[in-house]
Amino acid sequence: MFRFVVRRLLVAGVTLAVISLITFGLFFAVPSSPAKVMCGKNCTAEDIAQVEQRLGIDQPLPRQYADFVKGIFVGRTYGSGDFQQDCPAPCLGYSFRNNQPVTEIVAQRLPVTFSIVFGGAVLWLALGVSLGMLSALRRGTAFDRAAIGVTLAGASMQVYFFGLILLYLLVYATGLLPFPSYTPLTENPARWAVGLLLPWMTLGFLNSALYARLSRAQMLETLSEDFVRTARAKGLSSRQVHLRHALRAAITPIVTIAGLDIGSSLGGTFITETIFGLQGLGKATVEAVQFLNLPVVMATVLLAAVFIVVANIVVDVLYAVIDPRVRLS
Amino acid sequence: MRARTRTLTTGVLAAALVAAGCSPTTDSGGGGGDDKAKTQTGSISYEAADNKGPAKAVDGAAKGGTLTIMQNSDFEHLDPARNYVNVQQVAGGLLYRALNGYKEDGSGKMLLVGDLATDPGKDVNKDCKVWEFTLRAGVKYEDGSPVTSKDVAYGIARSFASNLNEGPHYIQQWLYPGGAYNAKYQGPYDGGKPVPDGIETPDDRTIRFTFPEAHCDMPYAAALPTSAPVPAAKDTRANYDLRPFSSGPYKVKSYQRDVALELERNPNWDPNTDPLRNAYPDAIRFTFGLEQAQIAERLVADAPADQTAMSWTDVPPAVLPRTTTAGVVERVVKGPTQYVWVLNINTQRVTDLNVRKALNYAADKDAALKAIGGQAAGSPATTLMSPTTAGWKKYDVFNAPVTGDKAKVTELLGGKRPKLVLAHSNTELRTQQAEAIRKNLTDMGFDIVMKPIESSSYYDEVGRKNNPYDLYIGGWGSDWPTGSTIIPPLYDGREIVAEGNNNLSYLNEPSISAEVDRVRSLPAAEQDVGWMALDEKIMREYVPVVPLYYDATYELHGSKVGNPFLSDAFGIISLNGIYLKQ
Repeated sequence: MFRFVVRRLLVAGVTLAVISLITFGLFFAVPSSPAKVMCGKNCTAEDIAQVEQRLGIDQPLPRQYADFVKGIFVGRTYGSGDFQQDCPAPCLGYSFRNNQPVTEIVAQRLPVTFSIVFGGAVLWLALGVSLGMLSALRRGTAFDRAAIGVTLAGASMQVYFFGLILLYLLVYATGLLPFPSYTPLTENPARWAVGLLLPWMTLGFLNSALYARLSRAQMLETLSEDFVRTARAKGLSSRQVHLRHALRAAITPIVTIAGLDIGSSLGGTFITETIFGLQGLGKATVEAVQFLNLPVVMATVLLAAVFIVVANIVVDVLYAVIDPRVRLS
Repeated sequence: MRARTRTLTTGVLAAALVAAGCSPTTDSGGGGGDDKAKTQTGSISYEAADNKGPAKAVDGAAKGGTLTIMQNSDFEHLDPARNYVNVQQVAGGLLYRALNGYKEDGSGKMLLVGDLATDPGKDVNKDCKVWEFTLRAGVKYEDGSPVTSKDVAYGIARSFASNLNEGPHYIQQWLYPGGAYNAKYQGPYDGGKPVPDGIETPDDRTIRFTFPEAHCDMPYAAALPTSAPVPAAKDTRANYDLRPFSSGPYKVKSYQRDVALELERNPNWDPNTDPLRNAYPDAIRFTFGLEQAQIAERLVADAPADQTAMSWTDVPPAVLPRTTTAGVVERVVKGPTQYVWVLNINTQRVTDLNVRKALNYAADKDAALKAIGGQAAGSPATTLMSPTTAGWKKYDVFNAPVTGDKAKVTELLGGKRPKLVLAHSNTELRTQQAEAIRKNLTDMGFDIVMKPIESSSYYDEVGRKNNPYDLYIGGWGSDWPTGSTIIPPLYDGREIVAEGNNNLSYLNEPSISAEVDRVRSLPAAEQDVGWMALDEKIMREYVPVVPLYYDATYELHGSKVGNPFLSDAFGIISLNGIYLKQ
C-alpha cells in the first residue's frame, strides 16, 4: 500500500509538471499582451515595456518558467525600488490587477467552491445512491418507474436552466429564500447553509440523477451475481445481503465517478457560481482569463489539475478499502 | 490630453466608461429622449453660499442603514492617482475629497464648487496661468490628523509615477508641457524630489499652481481625483489602491478584491466642512461579480434584503420590459450621459463630400440603437457634443428621418455605389450594431465590407493614421462639460499623429483649426457658445462623422432607497444625498 501511494505521488508530480509546462507555453502564445490590458488608457510604448518588466514577461520563456517554479518553493519579489512587492512561498505568482499574491486570491476563493461542492456532493450522493438502490430493489414497481422518469429528466437538464428556474421560483417570485451568498462556515454555520442551499439543491438534483441511474444498474447486476445468491442461501437477512454484500460491491464504480466528479468540480463550478453570484474559484478563473490576469489563470489551472490527480489517488486507495477483492501492491 | 474612453465591455455601456464630464443640465427628469431643444448653461460658482458646508439637508432623509451597491465587476482602481472611471470617481468621492467638486441636488442645477478648497480656485493674475486654492479649516483624515496642502501636492506628485499612471494627466501635462507629462519628473519615489515644479505650498492651507501656459479649465481639472490629498506617511504605493487613507465621510472597513468592498463612517469627517455630501447611510457595501441580468432581476423583484440596494450597472435589454410596470418604473433612474457615439468617416479615404453627406442621410440611427438595447441605451444624435455639455443647443444639418432618407441618398450618390470598409470591435454588442449598420447602408445603396477587430486593440487600430478602414464607430466622453475637451481633441487636424489618435475622422481643415484658436482665446463666459457654433460649422461644412446617438443611463434601485437622482457630472446615480428609508 505504502509503495503504491509513493509511486502514485511520483507520477502525480510528473503529471503536474507537464501540465504546468503546457499551460505556461499556451499563455506565451496568447496574441494579446497582458501588459497592454493592465496599462490602460494613458499608455505609451515605454509604459508597456515597464509593465512587462514589472510582470517579468520581458524575460525569455524558460527563465520565466524557472522563476515560477522557484517562487513556489522559495518565494520571489516583483518590481524594484519603492514598488517592490514580496510574494512569499508558496508563490504562485503576483496579481498586479488585484495587488495580491495569487496564493491569497486562491485562499479566499477556494472555501467558496469547496462549500458548494461539499454540500452538493453530500446531497447528490445520498439522494442518488439511495434512490438507485431502492429502485433496484423494487424493480418494476411504480416507484421504480417514477424514479427513473424523474432521474431521466434530471440527467437531461442543465445547471443554467434548472438553477435559473429555482432562482425564479424560490427567490424572485416568492422570496422564500434569500439570493445565495457566501458566509464562512466558521463565522455563522446557519447563514453558510442558507446562503448555499440553492446551489446545493441544483447540483444535488442534477447530479443525483446520474448516480441514481448508475447505482440502480450496478445494484441490479450485483444482485444477480453468485455471491449474493450464496449469501442468501446461507440464510443472511435481506438487509445484510443488500447493504453488507451487494451495495459494497456495487458502489466501487460509483466511487470512481464520484471521485472524479468532486475532483473536477473543486477546480471550479463556474456556471453554478455565476448563476448564483458566488465568488468561487471557477469565477476567478474565468474573470482572470477575461482580464488576461495570467498568474491567476496559471494557478487555478494547476490547482484544478492537482484536485483531479489527488482525487484519482484517493479513489484508488478507497477501492482497496471498499472491495476486498482489490489488493494494491 | 487623452480624455478618452473607449472601452465597451459587456452590457450596454456604463461599465468601463471613463468619465466625469459633467452637465449643468436644466432638465430634471432626464431620459434618453428628453433632450430635444434644450440649452445647457454651465457654471462655476464662487458664491459663498454654494461653497459653504454643510450640504443642504434632503427633505425626509434620515441617517442610518447600509446601502448596498451591486456591481458587475470590481473597480479597476480606487487610488486617487489611478482613478479615471465614473463609477470609481463616485465611489472614490466617499473616501477622499479633491480640491473641487460638483454640487448637485437632483433638481438639474449643477455647480462646480470648492470641495477641499474654500472656492473653485483663484486665477491670481487673471491670465489663467497661476491658480491658488485655499483649503478649508478643520478637514481631517480618518485618524484625526489635519488635511494639509502639502498632502495635496504629494498626491499630485505621486501621480507622475509610471506605476500609478492610470489616472487623468491634465494637471501633470500643464505643469510640464511639451513632450510626455512624465518625461522630466517621475514622482517622489526612488529618490525623486517630493514635489513637481510649479507647485508651491506657502503654508498648510494654501496650494499654488504655476503653469507655463494659460489653462482656464483649471477649476474643472481640480475636480478630478488627482488633487485628492495623500499624506506621504500613509502612502502604501501600489497597495494604496486597496486602502486609500480617508479624508471623506467613509473609510474602508474591508476589501476583498472582486468580491466586496465595505465602507464605514469616518468619525473624523465633519459635515460642516463639506458642501457636497450629506452622507446619510452609516455604511456602504459594494458587491462585485454579479451578472448584469442578475442585478436587474433582483432589483426588479425588490426582495426585502435587496430593498436597500441599487446598481450603477445598466439594465440589460432582456429585463427592460419588466421595468415599465407600476412598482418598478418609479425605481428607474435614467438620463443622458456625457458620451456621444458617432460613425467616424475616414476623411483621408472618403474624400467626396457628397458620399459623406449621403452616409448621414442613409444612417438608420434607430437600428444602431436597437442593436444595443434601444431607448434605454441612448437617443439619436445630430450634434458632435453631448446634451450635457455647457452651451449645448440642438441643431440638425440634414433633418433626415431617424431611419434614413433613401431618396436623398440616391440623389447624392448619383448612380454610384461606393464600396466602404466598416471596421468594428468584435464584442458581441458591437458586432450586432455593426451588422445593423451594414444592413442599413447596404439597403441604402452602399457596398459595405465588414472588418471585425479584436476588442482590446480596436482603438489602436482605428487610431493609426494610415488605417485601411473607411467607417468605424467611436464614443467619446468629455472629462468635464465644456467643448474644450471635445472639439479640439476630436476635430483639430493639428492633433493628428501617426498612432494613438483621438481624431478618428482625421479631419484636417486649417479653417477649423483657426476657429479652435479663436474660440480658445475668447473670455471663458463666451467659449461655450463658441464651441457649439463650431460643432455645427464642422457638421455643416465638412461632415467628418455621422452622429449616431447620445448615450444614456438606465439604472434601478430598491424601494427603500431615497433621493437616488442621476448625477449629471458622472452619468450615474449620485451618492451624495442618498438615504435609506426607515
